Amino acid sequence: MTNYKGDFLDLLKAHDCQIQLDLPVTPTSGASSPLQETEGTTVLAVRYKDGILIGGDRRATAGNVVMYDRAEKLLQIDEYSVLAIAGSPAMAYEMARVLEHSFQYFRRSQLQELSIEGKLRMLSRLIRDNLPMTLQGIGGVIPIFAIYDLLTEDENGGKIFFYDALGAHFESADFATSGSGSVWIRGVLFYQNRWGDTPLADMDEQEATVTVLRLLDAAAEYDSATSGYNPKSNIYPTVKTITKDGIQDLSAERLREIYAESVETTHAR
Amino acid sequence: MLDEPYRWLEAVNNRRDYIEDQLRGGSPVVGLKYDDGLLLVTIGRGQRKIFEVHDRIALSAIGHSADIERLRMMATDTASVQGFQSSVDDLTLHRLTNFVLGPTIKQSFEAIFGSAYIIKMLLVELGVRGAAEGFISLNYDGTVQANQHREVIGGTHEAETAMQNYLSAADTSEFSLTSALQFALETWVVGWELGVQQAEDDSEENANERSESTMDKERLHEVLRDELKAGEIEGAVLEASRRSNSKFRLLTSDEINAAISDWL
Repeated sequence: MTNYKGDFLDLLKAHDCQIQLDLPVTPTSGASSPLQETEGTTVLAVRYKDGILIGGDRRATAGNVVMYDRAEKLLQIDEYSVLAIAGSPAMAYEMARVLEHSFQYFRRSQLQELSIEGKLRMLSRLIRDNLPMTLQGIGGVIPIFAIYDLLTEDENGGKIFFYDALGAHFESADFATSGSGSVWIRGVLFYQNRWGDTPLADMDEQEATVTVLRLLDAAAEYDSATSGYNPKSNIYPTVKTITKDGIQDLSAERLREIYAESVETTHAR
Repeated sequence: MLDEPYRWLEAVNNRRDYIEDQLRGGSPVVGLKYDDGLLLVTIGRGQRKIFEVHDRIALSAIGHSADIERLRMMATDTASVQGFQSSVDDLTLHRLTNFVLGPTIKQSFEAIFGSAYIIKMLLVELGVRGAAEGFISLNYDGTVQANQHREVIGGTHEAETAMQNYLSAADTSEFSLTSALQFALETWVVGWELGVQQAEDDSEENANERSESTMDKERLHEVLRDELKAGEIEGAVLEASRRSNSKFRLLTSDEINAAISDWL
């Protein structure tokens, strides 16, 4: 069967290929589960001078158990977009994989790039399809989607979007946070952006990286499910930039320097 | 009746003649290696002929545009589902051509009450982490031919042989993109010019003379200049050093101009 719309989910259905995100609701005993807070993560994105800088911690937890300390939560979807995941890793990784394949399939089959609006709607649809799992309290995913718009007339084409559990997307002008550690840093970002020496939009890459690393360290201080820098294993948070030149990973070497210069230095005695 | 073996063979042969006639005027496609991957080049007249199939696989074709589109979608759909269900690493060009496209084309070619695909395809695969790499061409009857270093498709068998001969004069695997593009364009002219001559004079004796005749570089560039008045160079690479998972990209006009600026 030929798929003329370039819709990857339709293509999978036509080939009897089921994805995790549209699993049926399993009946639960007792009272229905309340919508749970996203757990075990801090991810944040800020709009800086050249585009978007996005950072995430590396810890994956199950309850009070640290499952993994090298989790990659910033997932590159295509050359200009990154999904920062918070929530159930199984669903989040599946969501990212479906998203990546969907964008590629549209481009390859329709011979044109999917529009930003189309990309946002695709992610909305995946989050909405995942609602049964979210309502059961075991598979919720609340991501941040960051993308660079090459067609914009603005000097800075960086755009940040955040979602609710039902799939509605909202554009954030300056920053977005997600995950259990985000409550500790959201207000700080607001303060920094409004009354700090340099607003986020005027920061260069170095300043934005320092801000993001400091905030991840702050989140790790208060949220047990978020990790900061792990000196024993030499694990740093991940930081990516999205600019008109595409996506760049900040190297561990660069993060080590910035950490030593600007994050570990404190007023504490 | 067609259920008699002789009639059936005759019908298939008629169909072969018909399809070859339809393909005769097709603009050739040249595929070769260069120092950072694999290159596909053709000259078209508005209709796109080179396509991305998956991260490491690209496709080009000559023939009827509706047939190209149907088989392109079949290749893209199959590759997309397989690449998603398993891993991109499990997706190979060999499986795509020998298990999917080849049998489909053959079946339609021999089903003489239905319409046959009027098509010749050239597919290319970039190998990563030691995986197979190279070119596979598919003929309108479903036959498959693989070549690790270079491959062409053209309007006639004679044009393809002449292009193969021209290409085999050099090992292009160390060529820069610009040099590879220049060599591919010269090869294209060899195939195209032969096709044009054939259309004008299709007698058997002249066929031998044509294949033996060679064109000097000046003449090749002159023909190219003429063809570019109406046609447009289309090229794409599977680029090993490309940062993205998808290694396919179309050549930019700057890259094309860098290759032909001295000839214009």
